Amino acid sequence: MLPNANENSSANSAAAPPTNWSPQQQTARLLALCEAQMEAATQDSDHAVDTLVNSFSDLMSLVRELSIESNSNHTDTQTIKFASEEEMKQRYLKLSRQVNNAIVAFQFYDKLSQRLGHVRYSLSTLALFICDRMNSQKPEHWDKLITTLGRLYRTAEERAIFDSIASSLTIATTGEKQKPLSQGTSPEGSIELF
Amino acid sequence: MPSVILAVDDSASMRQMVRFTLESAGYEVVQAADGVEALDYAKAGNADLVLTDVNMPRMDGLTLVRELRNLNNYKGIPILVLTTEAGQDTKMQGKQAGATGWIVKPFNPEQLLATIQRVL
Repeated sequence: MLPNANENSSANSAAAPPTNWSPQQQTARLLALCEAQMEAATQDSDHAVDTLVNSFSDLMSLVRELSIESNSNHTDTQTIKFASEEEMKQRYLKLSRQVNNAIVAFQFYDKLSQRLGHVRYSLSTLALFICDRMNSQKPEHWDKLITTLGRLYRTAEERAIFDSIASSLTIATTGEKQKPLSQGTSPEGSIELF
Repeated sequence: MPSVILAVDDSASMRQMVRFTLESAGYEVVQAADGVEALDYAKAGNADLVLTDVNMPRMDGLTLVRELRNLNNYKGIPILVLTTEAGQDTKMQGKQAGATGWIVKPFNPEQLLATIQRVL
């Protein structure tokens, strides 16, 4: 029986990293990972801020309408139309929806802080690692570093980005691709009762 | 009397969002910035439900769940974890620690309230 491709690859490549492997290339890839994490966090935050701006803009319009209505003459036919029960219900639903959207969007700051914190830790760990010339010349030590940094990225988005870049980082010593971290993650907002 | 919910998160903005959501639904909210602060409150007073983050300084959320389950008056109360942690492994650790449920941030206010009503 032929050996498993991974086992074969693992056995042959343990002592010999691929010819295109170098500490500089690994450093560049880890920096690219940090850049990708920061870019994704910024994009998600931009999206959340857009939602906040839209929510507040709609809320302000509703407040303005209510203000005009409360200051107008109650015998005005327009006022009677606005004050109908159905109209009020619709306004309440619109207000409620915008407040809910704003609450979800406001949570971007917490996530942004967390994601930037992970990038900051990755960069400082990488800086220390490459200053240690003995360690940074050994592919197996790079694999350990990448595994350690991979544990930092725990949100679904961070894991997906890590997985997309990690495959090019961890082939140095084992020849085996890392098991994608993003497997088995729950989407944002999901709720599970045990 | 309104149910008391102990909201634990090291992010002040998150605590405010949780407080705003829960108070608008008529709950009384007590806030704590980490597990140690939450445990201090729990030892001195009662909450009807605990909503906790995972990654916090001094004492993390999973340790807090374990500690709360060791207190007689918190053995049976619902403890919901509200976190950015989305991995199955961490979720299983939460279940083993004694959490009642797991909510991945960002939370949707209506869904959070529905879940709280369901477990209370």
